[in-house]
Amino acid sequence: MSSTRYPWRDWAYPLIVIGAVLACWQAAVMAGWLRPISFPPPSKLAATFREIVTEGYPEGIGLATHVTITLQRIVLGYSAALALAIPLGLVIGWKPTLDALTDPVIAFGRSVATLSLLPLTVVWFGTGEGAKIFLIGYGCFWVMISNVIAAIKNVDPVLVKAARTMDVSGAALFRRVALPAALPRIFAGARVALGVGFMVIVGAEMIGTIRGLGALIMEARTFYRTDITMVGMAVIGAIGFAMAMGLQRLEAVLMPWQGREARRAT
Amino acid sequence: MGAIARSGAVPTISEGPASGKHSGRVGDTLVRIRIERVSKRFATDRPDAPPVLGDFSLAVRENEFVVLLGRSGCGKTTLLNIIAGLERASTGEVRVDDAVVTRPGEGKGVVFQQGALFPWLTAAGNVDFAARSRGVAASERAALCGELLDLVGLSGAQDKYPFELSGGMQQRVAIARALALDPHILLMDEPFGALDELTRIEMQNELLRVWAARRKTVVFVTHSIWEALMLADRILVMAPRPGRIVLDRHVALARPRSRTDSALLQLYESIWASLQ
Repeated sequence: MSSTRYPWRDWAYPLIVIGAVLACWQAAVMAGWLRPISFPPPSKLAATFREIVTEGYPEGIGLATHVTITLQRIVLGYSAALALAIPLGLVIGWKPTLDALTDPVIAFGRSVATLSLLPLTVVWFGTGEGAKIFLIGYGCFWVMISNVIAAIKNVDPVLVKAARTMDVSGAALFRRVALPAALPRIFAGARVALGVGFMVIVGAEMIGTIRGLGALIMEARTFYRTDITMVGMAVIGAIGFAMAMGLQRLEAVLMPWQGREARRAT
Repeated sequence: MGAIARSGAVPTISEGPASGKHSGRVGDTLVRIRIERVSKRFATDRPDAPPVLGDFSLAVRENEFVVLLGRSGCGKTTLLNIIAGLERASTGEVRVDDAVVTRPGEGKGVVFQQGALFPWLTAAGNVDFAARSRGVAASERAALCGELLDLVGLSGAQDKYPFELSGGMQQRVAIARALALDPHILLMDEPFGALDELTRIEMQNELLRVWAARRKTVVFVTHSIWEALMLADRILVMAPRPGRIVLDRHVALARPRSRTDSALLQLYESIWASLQ
């Protein structure tokens, strides 16, 4: 639901809701309804946030380092997945035979929970950066490739028909019709895949590192620092949200031909 | 583009169904589209079911405006798709200008019910797409697109994307795009079927205006009797399974036509009767 008459609602409403939730939470802890060790109140979280930024956790590793390391891993794994999945998906989606041949493999690959690969990943890649980037890439790849295939396969047949009446076929049909027609769905897939990357990162950073937001969360859990776990979660959420918004902006610039409503619906 | 002037050779009174018997060597230069004993069966049909089209023959003259009228499922869209080269006949053949139709394109412009505009291209971009496909030089395309959009009454909307255009305006773009192919024949599959009644009447008048400016041989599919009466030189009423012509009438009334014309009202009655 857009509110063209009251554009301020788009940012004001979420802020009001978040503010209300935080206030209730704070009040509930202060009234003694929630245990501060399980539900550290927002005031405590703010202090913890300051602590991680200035002193770091574990000692000496500041929030900026965690964020940078995590972003690096996500960006590397995610872009490698896209670089593979987009061309492969385009070819598979365009050729029905290839689609039929690969469909079971892709359905299987997508169904394997990424984190169940963790033990194998350690065997293959050790516990270094490679393992983490592989896991993120794996998760993003299957989501992305199934979306790209679906995008090409589901191009409105009437558009293809119309192009054929204009003597456009073969490679030109792919380039001039199928590809632009599939673009919105491909972008939607890229957004979902990014979300998957942020889900996988916490698990991927469980292995062999104390740096990165996932590692921060795991490390804090060991010492029952629920406040740090929550701050870590919030930071991951905020970064994921910001990147998704960035993709949406990019979409609006690249595809002005999609109405605002159509873009929201995807 | 043979621009033979429209001759007065069209009979004023109704004619029987067009004969399917002819050699193809008949030197009748006025015939643009010749459908010869076409039948169509879909792979999914039960073998004992009657075909979608059965032994269908028809000759359409140069610059004739033919309307195929019938209920859903009578095979009119299938017939149009076969003429367009989008579907293959099971038996028989279609000739356009004496060449057997084997594929779409080749001077056959098609307008679909939903416009089928490319949503990522502006109105001008959609028209340009067709012009470019025909091989019009880049330097001439902008002028051509402007001219065609003017013709369909969309001068101000060339930079608008389809989602910004109303249904009627989208169909105007679709018509301009089909004309950009400089087609010999124009095939229209219920082009105004999705429009509201008022827009529809407006578009019928627009189409007649465009057709007067750019004479084409038109095959127009509809299930609206009044649409057929307002537009057609010749109305073919079809019945289903097997798809066949049950009424073939020439309408030699000047346009624009009045809905109260007694000849039209009489024709309405006989078409209605033939549809029962």
